[in-house]
Amino acid sequence: MIAYILRRLVSISVTFFIVSVLVFLMMHAIPGGPFDAQDMPLSEAVRDKLMARLGLDKPLHVQYLSYMAGVLQGDWGVPYQSPGETVIELLARAWPPSLILGGLGVLIGVPLGILLGMAAALKRNTWIDYLASAIATLGLTVPVFVISMLLILVFAVWLNWLPASGWGEPKRWILPIIAYAAIPLATYARYTRSAMLDSLNKPFVTVLRAKGLSERRIIFQHVLRNSAIPMVTVFLPMFIGTATGSIFVEAMFRVPGLGSYFVSSITTRDYPLEMALILMITLMFSGAYLISDILYAWLNPRIRIGGRE
Amino acid sequence: MDQPLKPGSASSSPAPAPREDTASPAPAAIRQRSPLYFAWRRFQSNKAALFAGGVLTVLIGMAVFAPFITKTSFTAQDFLTISLAFPSLEHWFGVDDLGRDFYSRIVYGARVSLSIGFIAAGFSVLIGIPLGALAGYFGGRTDWFIMRVIELFSVVPPLLAAMLLGTLTRGGFLSIVFIAALFGWVQVCLLVRAQIKAFREKEFVRAAQALGASPWYIIRRHLIPNSISPIIVGFVLAIPLAMLLEASLSFLGIGVPPPTPSWGQMINTGMSFMFFYWHMAVFPTAALAITVMATTLFGDGLRDALDPTLKGR
Repeated sequence: MIAYILRRLVSISVTFFIVSVLVFLMMHAIPGGPFDAQDMPLSEAVRDKLMARLGLDKPLHVQYLSYMAGVLQGDWGVPYQSPGETVIELLARAWPPSLILGGLGVLIGVPLGILLGMAAALKRNTWIDYLASAIATLGLTVPVFVISMLLILVFAVWLNWLPASGWGEPKRWILPIIAYAAIPLATYARYTRSAMLDSLNKPFVTVLRAKGLSERRIIFQHVLRNSAIPMVTVFLPMFIGTATGSIFVEAMFRVPGLGSYFVSSITTRDYPLEMALILMITLMFSGAYLISDILYAWLNPRIRIGGRE
Repeated sequence: MDQPLKPGSASSSPAPAPREDTASPAPAAIRQRSPLYFAWRRFQSNKAALFAGGVLTVLIGMAVFAPFITKTSFTAQDFLTISLAFPSLEHWFGVDDLGRDFYSRIVYGARVSLSIGFIAAGFSVLIGIPLGALAGYFGGRTDWFIMRVIELFSVVPPLLAAMLLGTLTRGGFLSIVFIAALFGWVQVCLLVRAQIKAFREKEFVRAAQALGASPWYIIRRHLIPNSISPIIVGFVLAIPLAMLLEASLSFLGIGVPPPTPSWGQMINTGMSFMFFYWHMAVFPTAALAITVMATTLFGDGLRDALDPTLKGR
């Protein structure tokens, strides 16, 4: 197991390196720079001095190496759009709103999704099942900005129950949380339904019924436990997915979170922020997949006891 | 996944039946039914997919015959008199902020969305088949390398990379197609790889190898024809992904540039008007939601029908 983890860590570092080179090159290949005349009317001398101070006048490979040397020491640079703070400080300021909304969305969406999936599996081919499938398909196929738009139109524009946008009092959080909850709810409804149907058809359920165990104990103690493994392993990647989902949710609901920086860092050529955002998300996804795979092996007795394959 | 297909599971799924080249005369008494017949039967029993297929047909019809079912061009403006007018008999979906008939723009938007979906899915298949075939047939080092590339694609958030690429190429129809294909081939590749891996050890492939057929010949003549179901499935599932990518990028303003009608871009504009001119937000949102859902349901139905073993993947 340890050898496996080490091998995966090596592969993650290689991935990290390749992604960093690719993103760095693509980022600099985009025409224009952070201090172009149309955005910032600066004199030639000031611009040159600024470029020299940020090291933007050096050849690309030198810039890349000095940037990566900084990153490896935990120094992610200073964002050009707000030079008063470091990239880390900016993220520490902008991430919490996204984390709160995304986290609450996941916390609400996952249990609801599991309940919905269980109801669908137990009442197969009834209206509950069809409703659950419809909700799951809607949540998984329709982009989150369309869901957000529908929420705003129904609850803010027509019914006028909730404010459409903003950040502050918790009333404003409700719609974005529902928008964030859509994907976890749909994912879990679908996974739970198919995993439970899978387990319900296994012979052990027949045995348990034959020995007279109550249906409730069969479902909660045996079937649910048997279907839990895929549900545990999709959790982390999905949770990190809310970070990229924030681009749309926060644009729709005008939340001052991480989302807007994904776009603005690209359009204003804010190289340090852009690199930091993409590299951190990549790292978090790699880490999430690694942890999920370890959890999968650890939770599955066939792998844990029998050794890997 | 590395295990060869179990005999039980192979015989229970009629779809990927090996297609032998020698036409063996079937016993006249038994009526032979093709795998496609059974796939069609399974598809017919899936009412949601059937309905979605109908909706998709209507949408494709709209896209193809757009000039015949709209009265005005999608760029024709009547700015001063009627801009932002609400839906009426004259303008079914109202008029947008620049005085253009919104119904025309939605209909032409179907053209953009669907054509990007289909073309990008086509390119995804073109990239995915050879790579999947190489990985599945040769295994070993080739497989390792292709799988590492796929791993790279799985950890980089596609949207962020697409945003970078979109800005780099300055948006536009072709570059969106290219970006969507760049992220769409992975699924096709995995599906083809799994299928070819399962068929690589079959007798008819062994026989072809024994007769001295080259790997390329075997892949082209035997393995790819036998992978036709996963290829169709991969193609159909890649369509909604490409449409979503286009809509998302256009929503963020780095997709198809403005005069071309794109639903994502219309939703973004509609956002600023939704409190007073609801039609600006409702119609593009509904159009995008209906199209993506219909395509996905149709694709899911096709997948379940063509290859029941793939269900739930």
